[in-house]
Amino acid sequence: MSDLHLELNNVSKRFGGLQAVDHVSFTVTEPELIGMIGPNGAGKTTLTNLMSGMLKPSSGTIYLNGRRIDGHPPYDVTRAGLGRTFQITRALGRMTVMENMMVPGLAHNPRAGRADLEARAHEILTLLTIDHLTNELSRALSGGQRKLLELGRLLMLDPAVIILDEPFAGVHPRLQDTITNYINRVHENGKAIMFISHNMGAVFELSQRLIVLHHGAVIADGAPQAVRNDPAVIDAYLGHDEDD
Amino acid sequence: MVVFRRFESAIDQGIGRRKLGYLVIVLVVLFFLWFPNDTSQSNYTKTVFISGFFYAIMSSSWALLAGIAGQFSFGHMAFMGIGAYAAGLIARDGITFALLGVSISPESISAFGSIIIGTIAAGAVGLVIGWLLLRLRAAYLALFTIAFSELFRIMMLTEYDYTGGSNGLSLRPLLQIADVDAARQVEYYLMFGLLVVCLLALYWVANSPIGLFLRAMREDEDAASALGVNVVRYKILVFVFTSMIVGFAGAIFYSDVGSERIIPEQLEILQMSLIIAYAVIGGMESLIGAAAGAFISRYLLEAMRQVVITLPFGMTTYDGSDAFVWEPGFWRFALFGVVMVFTLRYMRNGLLYPIITWFSGRDIVMKETVSRRESDDNHAARIEADDE
Repeated sequence: MSDLHLELNNVSKRFGGLQAVDHVSFTVTEPELIGMIGPNGAGKTTLTNLMSGMLKPSSGTIYLNGRRIDGHPPYDVTRAGLGRTFQITRALGRMTVMENMMVPGLAHNPRAGRADLEARAHEILTLLTIDHLTNELSRALSGGQRKLLELGRLLMLDPAVIILDEPFAGVHPRLQDTITNYINRVHENGKAIMFISHNMGAVFELSQRLIVLHHGAVIADGAPQAVRNDPAVIDAYLGHDEDD
Repeated sequence: MVVFRRFESAIDQGIGRRKLGYLVIVLVVLFFLWFPNDTSQSNYTKTVFISGFFYAIMSSSWALLAGIAGQFSFGHMAFMGIGAYAAGLIARDGITFALLGVSISPESISAFGSIIIGTIAAGAVGLVIGWLLLRLRAAYLALFTIAFSELFRIMMLTEYDYTGGSNGLSLRPLLQIADVDAARQVEYYLMFGLLVVCLLALYWVANSPIGLFLRAMREDEDAASALGVNVVRYKILVFVFTSMIVGFAGAIFYSDVGSERIIPEQLEILQMSLIIAYAVIGGMESLIGAAAGAFISRYLLEAMRQVVITLPFGMTTYDGSDAFVWEPGFWRFALFGVVMVFTLRYMRNGLLYPIITWFSGRDIVMKETVSRRESDDNHAARIEADDE
């Protein structure tokens, strides 16, 4: 339906003696819901940082819609159409919720009128159930509300690909429902969403495709049911049932 | 307190706080326009005001750089010095661009021309320093700018053949008015006009999308970048912009408007610390707060050179006088330090923050948000109770 094309070719990242990401290759050509799982230290966040421009790959290339984005600064990658959230939320503390929304709005769309952007921001905040906090400083928000704000900021950028780093971590079950609702709604609007999570329930409920990382390398990539039964994934991450 | 609440509610229902705030600003501007026409005021007081305007420009521009953009620089006085020294050297010696084969003689440069070249020089150095500072944050940025500032001061002190060393450098006088009173009057209006223009320029930047990006950068550079803000561009831009403002103000002030010569002593860390202290006391995240903090502090520091204390209850001094003169000397600065410590501990947004917040009406918005939040929490609690 869209001309979406994210392509990673043999992307590696080495920190001194540690191979954090090891020749990772995959392609996203449809607005899929992709779960990314793996044990702690598997390289999930490093891979996210490489895709979003926070880190430069030691080798390999990343293309988004025909444009090479590896090594480009994050703002450039964001403008190219790849948005991300952070594992530890990074709300702009001494700015109001509306100002937090206006930063990506104006950065992405400098010629848009403020009133139009504010109306759009309000619409998104309503979807995320935090519209009553519009004038609140974001440092006064709870952890879960900050997660929602981060998700809202992403929508102001209107990216083709969204990477969510641990969207369910430390979030109240009610807010988890709001986040799940958000992911589904955004996905229905034609975005590819890649999310990292240790919440296996949410991962298997939401994902259409699963990518499993272990020691920086992709050890499985496919439909969730197939990945669930993959012996390599069971050994490395999911583990065996005690009965087995 | 009751009287204040009644006054507050009358204002809220009537003119509105913001409009009242604008009215206060207009009245303050009118006061400063009228002030030199008050024949009872001495030239000395006008000189104190001129110095106050200059430091208000320094502190408010530093507030944009450090308070709004989060770049805690100690190099602000150095950039001011670059503007002043460059203007002075070019007006005296001219300039030769060897590569282009172009030479400009001192005779062909006007005083204002040399000021413009000084401003450009400050901006050019700001560009280089901004670029060098790209990867430095917080304490490292502060240390780097201290080192840069000291380097520049020592260069000006050591190269006395060119710069006059500790005697300083005279710039070409901008105004040629023989009558001392008339000259003071014009100098007063010139510096006040410059302060107004600088504040308007700083406000324009702070309230534009650039200001929003600068604040985002202050909060979290990585997050701002991930939201599409070109952090490199805005970091350099804010350094160049504020360097040019203080370079311009410095070149004008030392062109015999506020002072007849620039001396390296002006570039000492102590002087820079005073600029920071003025901004902190007034409110470093508020441009008008920083400007007012600088002006009021300068005025009070001058006024406290000699303090006449009248004794109460008919007490007299040993020579029978009912008043004595206290000359606090450097103790003025100690008192100033106490005010700063109090501000940092109890009013981190500056002593003027409550006033500015009141006029902006932000406290009303905050109260509304709290009540909306409470009603939402009650709503959530009810849903939770229903669920159970």
